[in-house]
Amino acid sequence: MATEQQPDVPFREPSRIERLQETLAEKGISKAVIYGVLGFFLLWTLFPVYWLVSGALKSRQTLLSFPPAWIPAEFQVSNFAQLFVQRPEFYQYIFNSIVITVVTTIIATTIGAAAAYGFVTFDFPYNLDFHLPFYILSTRFMPPIVTIIPLFVIFRNLQLVNTLYGLICVYVMFNIPFAVWMMKGFFEEVPASLVESAMLDGHTHIGAFFKIVLPLVKPGLLASAIFTTIITWNELLFAIILTQDVAAMTLPVGLSSFVTKYSVQWINVSVAGTIALIPVLLFAFVARQELVRGFSMGAVGK
Amino acid sequence: MATETGTDVHSTADLDEQLGAEKSTRERVLLWVDERLKWLMTLPAVFLLFALTFYPLLRAIQMSTQQFLPGGRTTYVGIENYVNLLDNGAFLESLVVTGKFIGLAVGLEFALGFGIALVLNKKIKMRGLWQTLILIPMILSPTVIGLIWRLMYTPDGLLDFMAAPFIGRNVGWISDPDVALYAVVATDVWQWTPLVVLVIFAGLQSVPDDIQEAAIMDGAPRWRRFVDIVFPYLKSLIVLVLIIRVVDALRVFAKVYILTRGGPSNATNVISMEMYRTAFRFSNFGQASAMAISLLVVVLILAMSFVKIADIEF
Repeated sequence: MATEQQPDVPFREPSRIERLQETLAEKGISKAVIYGVLGFFLLWTLFPVYWLVSGALKSRQTLLSFPPAWIPAEFQVSNFAQLFVQRPEFYQYIFNSIVITVVTTIIATTIGAAAAYGFVTFDFPYNLDFHLPFYILSTRFMPPIVTIIPLFVIFRNLQLVNTLYGLICVYVMFNIPFAVWMMKGFFEEVPASLVESAMLDGHTHIGAFFKIVLPLVKPGLLASAIFTTIITWNELLFAIILTQDVAAMTLPVGLSSFVTKYSVQWINVSVAGTIALIPVLLFAFVARQELVRGFSMGAVGK
Repeated sequence: MATETGTDVHSTADLDEQLGAEKSTRERVLLWVDERLKWLMTLPAVFLLFALTFYPLLRAIQMSTQQFLPGGRTTYVGIENYVNLLDNGAFLESLVVTGKFIGLAVGLEFALGFGIALVLNKKIKMRGLWQTLILIPMILSPTVIGLIWRLMYTPDGLLDFMAAPFIGRNVGWISDPDVALYAVVATDVWQWTPLVVLVIFAGLQSVPDDIQEAAIMDGAPRWRRFVDIVFPYLKSLIVLVLIIRVVDALRVFAKVYILTRGGPSNATNVISMEMYRTAFRFSNFGQASAMAISLLVVVLILAMSFVKIADIEF
């Protein structure tokens, strides 16, 4: 082990017990513990989702039976059709959610990425290249409820309440800090010399940005777009306050309307909940690498 | 701009022309863009954020000094709304509930998440797969999560079945004032423990092996290596994940709205729920704005300490 002889420090042989502990820790016994913990953790994480989705396929009696039915006895796919027969407005909720999410994602990612590149690349007077991003970042910490109260009053005056435009505005604002923060990390990894040499070759700066920088940060763009999509698709607070009827209500608001003080239509809830989580799960599968990176590093900073 | 063509004779016989490089309209536009690129790229974000957060913030401050009368009129009342907060029982109670919620939820998330990450800090198989799977709660809508848990909390539902052998049936998970807050906390812990696992796991994996090996050779025991090498490496990540969770837990709304609407008897009435009620159920915008501004001050202090402690550079 220790190759160098150090005369003044007496060499300390690791005791036999310590070495045994090392070997045990590196090998055999701990394996069982590791996979046990991981297995239990996965079960605890995934089971509730399974419970919702399987509930969507059960009959009303099995869904609420005691003891619970772990697996649906017969698959009641008709539950899905039933939801739209009983609550036809769900088409509109889904449509609103899709429009709002797509438009928000495009605008927020574009504006956010542009700003991030600007702040990374250029020098601003009065140290603004520090202060402005800092301001943008700080709005990420603003509790939504703080801005929503005045925004509701402002939007009411501008007649933006209960419109898709109003919600899109709010969601773009909500997602920009996130996009800027995330994209900034990606742009910083692009060497400035690449752009400089492209410009020496006769490219304009904006041309070099599109041809050289953007392709390099594609994973980052994808990640911010997917985060924006998920956040917007899921949002409830703004949607509940800024919408009044089917014209602008989103899927989460529709879902929340199932829960009343007196009764909950559990089959419809399970079906609608399952529909709401399908796109999110799909995105998670497509962009799993970016999401892991985003959550473990990007979302938290670097 | 667009009307100019590259063949304009009067444009100064410039260098490009001598070099034979005629400028097309497109190139002129691109050059025009280039000169202003700095502002074209950054101003939209700055402008939008000013319009949609800074201006509303000023309005919130203004609204917090007003009383809203029926018919859309307002009167200036100075700091009365703030003074009223001090003996607004529901508000003070909601502060306590929020404090309890944050302490319990973030504490549990951190302890569980850190522990699991430590156990997993090995070369384990299919790392990508399990990392993807534990993402699922984080990306689900809090509305859907609220519904899932409400389904499991129904009387004679799944959790009653599981709890029956230990604490008896009909616990009243979300209808018993003594239990409801813990039920909401459990939901939040379910959603966000994976975040702590992911972040801490990533941190643990990034501790360089050679330092560890050197310490092993020096005969440093396990706990000593953890305290002196691993922990300093993780310190800023730990602070980050804690503050992110605290700030996010401070604004929990959808889960509470779906699970309990703040009840039973205000047991889960967190601060954003109380503000929502004050503003949109009782139309008391002045009082709600005063709550919002007070909350913002707290968040500001938290966020500033976050940037300072974690030494974030932007």
